[in-house]
Amino acid sequence: MTIFSREIKVKGDRVIWAVVFILTVLSFLAVYSSTGTLAYKYHGGNVAYYMIKHGIILLAGLLIMYLAHLLKYTYFSRIFQILFYIAVPLLLLTLLFGLNLNDARRALPLPFHLSFETSDFAKLTLTVYLARVLTKREEELKDFNKVLLYLMLPVLVVCGLIFPANFSTAALIFVTSLVLIYIGRVKFSYILSIIGLSVLLLGFALGILLMMPAGKQARLNTWKTRIEQFKSGDSRDNYQVEQSKIAIASGGILGKMPGKSTQRNFLPHPYSDFIFAIIVEEYGLLGGTVVVLLYLILLFRAVRIVTKVPNNFGAYLAIGLSFSLVFQALINMAVAVHLLPVTGQPLPLVSMGGTSIWFTSLSIGILLSVSRDLESKETKETEQPA
Amino acid sequence: MVLPNSKKVILSRVYLVYFGMLVFALMIIGKMFYIRYKEGPALLAKAQKQEIKVFSLKADRGNILSARDNLLATSVPEFEIRMDVANNHISNELFNSKVDSLSLQLASIFPERSAAYYERILKHARAKKNRYLLIHRRVSYVQLKQLRTFPIFRRGKNRGGLIVIQKTTRRLPFGQLAARTIGYENKKEHLYVGLEGAYSHVLTGIDGKQIRRKINGNQWIPIHDDNEIMPQNGKDIVTTLDMNLQDVAENALLKQMINHEAEMGCAVLMQVKTGDIKAIANLRYDKKSGFYSESYNMAIGEKYEPGSTFKLASVISGLEDHKFKLSDTVSVKKGYVVYYGRTLHDAHVIGNGMITIRQAFEHSSNVGISKVIQKAYKDNPLKFIAHLYAMDLNKPLGLKIAGEAAPNIKSPKNKKYWYRTSLPWMSVGYGLEITPLQLLTFYNAVANNGVEVKPRFVTAVVNGGQIVKKFGVQVRNPQIAPLSVIQKVQSLLVGVVLQGTAQNLKNKHFQIAGKTGTAKISVGGKYIPGAYNASFVGYFPADDPQYSCIVVINKPKQGYYGSGVAAPVFKEIADKVYATSLALHVKPQQIAENNTVPLAVNATWYPDLKKIYKDFGVKTSGGPLAETWTVTGDKKGKVVFYSKTFAKNLVPNVKGMTAKDAVYLLENMGIATDVQGRGVVYSQSLKPGMPLRKGQKIIIRLTNL
Repeated sequence: MTIFSREIKVKGDRVIWAVVFILTVLSFLAVYSSTGTLAYKYHGGNVAYYMIKHGIILLAGLLIMYLAHLLKYTYFSRIFQILFYIAVPLLLLTLLFGLNLNDARRALPLPFHLSFETSDFAKLTLTVYLARVLTKREEELKDFNKVLLYLMLPVLVVCGLIFPANFSTAALIFVTSLVLIYIGRVKFSYILSIIGLSVLLLGFALGILLMMPAGKQARLNTWKTRIEQFKSGDSRDNYQVEQSKIAIASGGILGKMPGKSTQRNFLPHPYSDFIFAIIVEEYGLLGGTVVVLLYLILLFRAVRIVTKVPNNFGAYLAIGLSFSLVFQALINMAVAVHLLPVTGQPLPLVSMGGTSIWFTSLSIGILLSVSRDLESKETKETEQPA
Repeated sequence: MVLPNSKKVILSRVYLVYFGMLVFALMIIGKMFYIRYKEGPALLAKAQKQEIKVFSLKADRGNILSARDNLLATSVPEFEIRMDVANNHISNELFNSKVDSLSLQLASIFPERSAAYYERILKHARAKKNRYLLIHRRVSYVQLKQLRTFPIFRRGKNRGGLIVIQKTTRRLPFGQLAARTIGYENKKEHLYVGLEGAYSHVLTGIDGKQIRRKINGNQWIPIHDDNEIMPQNGKDIVTTLDMNLQDVAENALLKQMINHEAEMGCAVLMQVKTGDIKAIANLRYDKKSGFYSESYNMAIGEKYEPGSTFKLASVISGLEDHKFKLSDTVSVKKGYVVYYGRTLHDAHVIGNGMITIRQAFEHSSNVGISKVIQKAYKDNPLKFIAHLYAMDLNKPLGLKIAGEAAPNIKSPKNKKYWYRTSLPWMSVGYGLEITPLQLLTFYNAVANNGVEVKPRFVTAVVNGGQIVKKFGVQVRNPQIAPLSVIQKVQSLLVGVVLQGTAQNLKNKHFQIAGKTGTAKISVGGKYIPGAYNASFVGYFPADDPQYSCIVVINKPKQGYYGSGVAAPVFKEIADKVYATSLALHVKPQQIAENNTVPLAVNATWYPDLKKIYKDFGVKTSGGPLAETWTVTGDKKGKVVFYSKTFAKNLVPNVKGMTAKDAVYLLENMGIATDVQGRGVVYSQSLKPGMPLRKGQKIIIRLTNL
């Protein structure tokens, strides 16, 4: 790391950098090995196309991370407030005019065959925005009405705009936001009230959906079947889960070695939703455990930052962003091992997918920026006695 | 460091959340191990059995269309029928009791085999426990539907042993017509014939692919929509062929070839301005079957010594170099001329023996033409050859259709093959070779006032009804010779018909211009006695050329002259074109001005009739507003429309109606119509006024007015 840091002055938590670096390399290898069917579909078996594209995306992600960590984290407070106000109309635009994938509008088109999942953007900006509000309006938030207005309203607007097309992401954002609000010292009883209120709202929304003509209920049917299938163990999603389990079972302790996966041919989306299964198949239970631990380490380092950072905003930022990322990662892996029904959440930093990786990179960059600030303060303190 | 109280609360909550995540992560790791060690054996056993396979999704091949959007070649499903004769569900009693009726029924739809044959193979297959007996290849969908009703077969696949294998096959709805030019493709044998071969890259689609997994039994289902490459169907090509004209060309050629027991023949009709090939017939006698068939593209692939038709090029050359005038005289008294010990003959002595060059051409004198060319170019034959080359006669047309023969016109530079006799012989079309289509292209250029266009077979590529590519008119040579020279030889070609060798083509309706050819056939340098290529090539109408045409008939018997054998085919094609193509007719207004206005006495479709009167500039009044049947009457010199109605449940009177109108009316009333003859209806098999029953059949006979 010293050579590395001397050349391009990398600052911030070295352990987080190391985790990111390992996950990036893993991502490159796992995507390379699992895009066989995709390459076969669109580029006449040219796997190099996806390898190069993914490699470029990963490198761009590292660059974003590097640039973000150079910026003092307090600047993000104001910048992301503005970005958040942009994100909300973008969500609406996506819902109305976005690219249609599997009966859902989730993304806006970008050049170079990229698509912009606006929910990723909204998730990141919402987290920073909440950290800002929690810090700035600390005193006001003792009042439940203020909590509703300043915290709950933005969360519900974002989740409400995302949930018609992508229920699991909306739920993920909701839970992440609640956790952040909880950490932000909002009274626990308030949080329980918020949950109750949200459940009521959700019930109301579902009721409206159910009353819509049958043709518009495509998404509803997707959820219904998914939940039913998880319970009964049936059909297509179950096929995916079973193939995922076969992948995990056939990997053994040390795995089949990189590039030797056979289950990639049986698993739909082996490069995104089920990449963890391919990782376990190729790198074994050992590799799978290491990946789980890497995410835990990431969260642990964020907790460590929280213990040290003097500013509450920095603390909320660090814990909010890292929790969001790690929680999503654990959900993805939980789906692969069949702890949860199929959701379609990618594994952050590892799954293929352009903008998703970049937003993850940006959030890690912000996390590193907080830790970098901490380091410079520490060095100043140690220098003082002399 | 002393923490503020707020920080303590935050931290305690953070630790709690971290603990929750730790538990979640441990559950994932635990589940991983659980899957490996608890569920593992069962899962791996299942994995052993699963299979995937890549399936090909067949892309449809594009269609070949005529100029009028008729289908010339298209892909249709076709079935191969096999039978699992030893099927468990077919008991001995069932088999023995039904085998004879099944055989009978099979013989009824596949009459080339007898019922006894089917019974024998079925019984034999039953005894041998054959589970895959071939019943018939190339079964149509209609036949398949019938098959499914037969004894045993009607029990279906699992219980009746009926095995249906779907395939696609290429069909030519017009059968023999232009079959060789439409062509076919056989990738295995690398045969790319005709337009099918030439435009294979356009017609061929891209097959799709799909990964499927095996489920219970022998069913395969796609793994995911994602893994599917959709097949891209091939594009259609629109050709220049007109099947009405093709029909006439093919039949006229066939009739004449049968009459003269010819070996091979071709007829090509080309549009002068565009080079569009409207009809191309190629027939060859097949010794095995005793029939003529489209088995060889003679017009494109066969180079031959053209003989007299080539004199046109010689005369153009001489006129362009001012070597002679058409009024110059030449002596043909002896009926032959000797060059360096070799004799060149005329068929007979023409006139009194002293004739003009014009007469020499019109009466096709070998002696006359060769003498003036020999005189003009004896010292510099290269100059003569240079003229031929300048008119592109030595260059292949560069057609996309494979197998074009390159012309062979030698040069004096090539000393090895050039003799002193070469020049006079070449001047009358011997000692050189060219294909019928290449020669036609040259004549077409003369008809087109010197502008040489390349023959065009395909005008557009169409994808899903949208034109994706157009092929324009290609000019090979903007001016093959000065216009003044072209105009002089055009008058010569008219003269051939008016007072020369092709006077049988004279008619009062339109003027044909052209040249006859009666060329001896040589094999290995020796001319075979009695073997000729009879040909006629020209264009019409002479005053405003629209179409050019060549007819070549190889080795005719009972007469061999171009005028007697080939020219009648030309005339039949030209007559048909003249009769059907409005472009050639006198302007409609002229008729309207000069003649009395005809009235429609018999029921006619109102919009059609209205348009006809309008086109002829006849004033009309009245008339129904809707689309109905109508007749017209004369009211003070004006045409008036009266609507005509037919009782719904009675057989209508269609006498005097055109075939199109009659069929339209009858079929609309639910009567199946069988049309015989051409022209207008003069009799109908069901009496007018009879009560009508649905599904009744009527025969209407037509006659020309």
